[in-house]
Amino acid sequence: MNILVFTKRVPATQEEEIRVIDDGKKVDLSKVPFKLNDWDNYAVEEAVRIAEKAGGSVAAVSMGDAESDEVLRRAIAMGASDGFLIEAATERQDPNGRATLALNFLRKQALPFDAIFTGVQAEDDQFGSMGGILAAKLGLPFASMVIGIDTFEKDHVIVRRELEGGLQERVKVSLPCVLAIQSGINEPRYVSIMGIRKASKVERKVFKAADFQEGAENMIEVERWTYPPTRGGATMIQGDADNICKELLGILKEKGVFQ
Amino acid sequence: MSHALIIAEVRRGQFEERNLDSIGFCSLLGKQAVLLAPAGEYAIGEKSVDTVVRVAAEESLFLNPLNMITIIGKEFETRGKPDVIVFTSSSSGSELAAYTAGHFNLPIITDVSGLDKERSIFYKSYYSDKIFGEFRPAAGGPFVVTVRSGSFKEHAVEKPAAAGVETMEGLAFAGGRAFMEYVEEEKGEIDITKADFLLSVGRGIGSKDEIPAYEALAEGLKAVISGSRPVIDKQWLPKARQVGTSGKTVKPKVYLAMAISGAFQHIAGMKDSDCIIAVNKNAEAPIFQHAHYGIVGDANKLRDKLREILKG
Amino acid sequence: MSVNTARVLTCIQCGKCTGSCPESGKTPFNVRMIMRKKQFGRAVEEAIPWYCTSCGACTLRCPRDVKPSEVIIDLRSALVEDGQVPNSIQKALENTFVQKNPWGRSRAKRGEWSEKLDIEIPHVSETQSKRLLLTCCIQAYDPRCMVIPANVARILRKGGLEFGVLGEEEACCGNEIRRIGETGLFEELMEENIATFREYGVREIIALSPHCMNTLRKEYGNLGIKVSHYSESVAAMISQGVLKPEGSYDKKVIYHDPCFLGKQNGVFDEPRSILKAVPGLEMLEFSRSRETSLCCEGGGGRMFYEAEGTYERNSVVRVNEAIERGADVLATSCPFCVMTLEDPATEKGLAVKEVSEILMEVLG
Repeated sequence: MNILVFTKRVPATQEEEIRVIDDGKKVDLSKVPFKLNDWDNYAVEEAVRIAEKAGGSVAAVSMGDAESDEVLRRAIAMGASDGFLIEAATERQDPNGRATLALNFLRKQALPFDAIFTGVQAEDDQFGSMGGILAAKLGLPFASMVIGIDTFEKDHVIVRRELEGGLQERVKVSLPCVLAIQSGINEPRYVSIMGIRKASKVERKVFKAADFQEGAENMIEVERWTYPPTRGGATMIQGDADNICKELLGILKEKGVFQ
Repeated sequence: MSHALIIAEVRRGQFEERNLDSIGFCSLLGKQAVLLAPAGEYAIGEKSVDTVVRVAAEESLFLNPLNMITIIGKEFETRGKPDVIVFTSSSSGSELAAYTAGHFNLPIITDVSGLDKERSIFYKSYYSDKIFGEFRPAAGGPFVVTVRSGSFKEHAVEKPAAAGVETMEGLAFAGGRAFMEYVEEEKGEIDITKADFLLSVGRGIGSKDEIPAYEALAEGLKAVISGSRPVIDKQWLPKARQVGTSGKTVKPKVYLAMAISGAFQHIAGMKDSDCIIAVNKNAEAPIFQHAHYGIVGDANKLRDKLREILKG
Repeated sequence: MSVNTARVLTCIQCGKCTGSCPESGKTPFNVRMIMRKKQFGRAVEEAIPWYCTSCGACTLRCPRDVKPSEVIIDLRSALVEDGQVPNSIQKALENTFVQKNPWGRSRAKRGEWSEKLDIEIPHVSETQSKRLLLTCCIQAYDPRCMVIPANVARILRKGGLEFGVLGEEEACCGNEIRRIGETGLFEELMEENIATFREYGVREIIALSPHCMNTLRKEYGNLGIKVSHYSESVAAMISQGVLKPEGSYDKKVIYHDPCFLGKQNGVFDEPRSILKAVPGLEMLEFSRSRETSLCCEGGGGRMFYEAEGTYERNSVVRVNEAIERGADVLATSCPFCVMTLEDPATEKGLAVKEVSEILMEVLG
């Protein structure tokens, strides 16, 4: 089974204070460390496991700046045999643009594959759409939120999709297909620094995004970046026991965990 | 006349509540709402939309993205293209929306949580929800959105007249993907990292004897029990339930911390939870610095009161 | 054949290592047995190496210089390269890779403790002495431990000793990372830190944690930089009369020797002399103190990993003995010991203080 996995290098924004600058025109990421998108880590791990079990190979593809080579090396250290970098200086804030770039690349390079994996979403733009758009443009079957790949045969896979409230659905998808992998599908192996260094010995092929730009213009635009409505410190719930309980249950209902 | 096309999410015969956000979104935009819904016996608010199109495909066919493009294609033929196609921001909604946008080559903005009608912009979360981007389609023409649950439903107002009902028949679906069955969560070894709601107990509850009452409360609230390290060290709870740097890292929708002081190693394991509610006798307990809501008081007493209320 | 493999062959199976090990008997961890298996090229079960707390007792007491601590690090290294690492340790390593601290806190906020202080602390490059005060990751981010660098900074300032900090340019020293067996990551941290020290011409480093001091002194190579623990500087200031404790601290204080300060680096007297200089303080000693101090089980990656199974934690044993001996306060000079001992201590109503916290209370 030959699997292509799209991997993205993203800013690690979980711990950081992110500032908007230039009057809302830019987001300041200058002091933020970068890393492999969490969901893509799960996708690479899943692809490598399938290749280990069923035979085949995994190739990692990344669309981004030159530093994105880092995530390709990581994927190789995890077990991918090839890495492809589609280098572009500036980041696109549009899943359509990214998907079309990928589409053009895949068509021009005629890379063979049985399946394409992406992560469900990217930690930075949170669009969660690239895989679905790419699948539709390729005319391939698609399933997202894949929390388990139960069987893989020559012509189809049977996967479980994560729905809401602990429910899953089992679907049969013909090959070739595109799957968007959900976090938690597996426990990704640890990749050591020495392992990543060794991976540098495998050649990563670099391409220029400019060569695949046909029809990949942005279809959406950002007027401005701004902050979501803020919340202060802990809101203390006061009052007598009855009141506190009522308020507490109200919060639980609002959060959707209690009916 | 311009209209919005809403794709209803119906799951196991239930018209999902989050459809109200799609409906509210359209009301806010001031558009006529055409609702595409699958075949089946379920209730839609009679007056919530302008037109309901009952598609001759039962829900598992309807929710299949490969089929949805055929359904929407037919709708375009019948009524012409809408101004916007609205999906829920759920597992299926997001999947359908992306595939639809790709097939019809439409702009897509996902997880919309607000809009500014005057400026024609839609608010979308970015960078671990710390930034909002004000997005809009770059050119005219139809576009796709998914709307965040809870963001627009208060705008889903009743219309003066009942919705017109239409049908869509004669659909031929291609193969490629087929629904097989639903799978319920296995009640095996507990994985606290997958729980939506964690009720976590700390050393402050006092003794192992207090645990059964917490378990009963958790059951009543449909929460999963977890604990801080001292609780596991003392064997009041098994290791699989430990939250913290030497246990598991969790990010549930709600983390209810009962009698947990908030030591650094514990906080590291749960600080990214959507909503942290802390209960502690000590108003200075460090956990309050990380909580969204705080209650200063006796956790055991609060537990008993909650159980009383749930019973009654 | 690696150096460690060669050394293992000289092991005479005397069992002193197992006899000294804080994990012996109550866990499946048996150092002598591990050395035996290595002699015969037998596999060691995957879960076993993670019990080690890196206290160093086995290496210190071995009559044949087998250095079992290093053999265990080797075993862990092999597991790390294979990707077979317990989840929580994996997370700590990945956090360190991205944010240069195992807690995964924002590197940009590493220097915040010094910015919020009532005294102004310069960047080390702005000092004459190029004396660097180095914080442990946990001291930079955990509010409970943040008082340690804050206090020491104030104490050194009172004593008129010039120093500076690196703020966010500081990266984890890598002591625990090396002990976890992630050699590649340790090397990266070391290289980055050394480059930073060189850039600013750092001449002396005062470490706030014995773990940092240990690795900088013994594992960073010949830096040409003097590395000490803060207790050494502060003890000197007190004996020179530069710091004059006043007031009274009428408590019985029992001192716990941290493994990385005490047995591994021979610093026993300085923290004691600080405590003895505190007016009104009555010093008590544990039955196992100085070289035989009982490891608190916080080191060797144990902050990030708890094995299955229950057994009495050494921290509980220590707290119980402290109470038995009538101590009001359990004092120590390592943030890991503070964290590990405080949990059971609080439960039993015993206060745990870092030595600098006690001193701070009696300096005007």
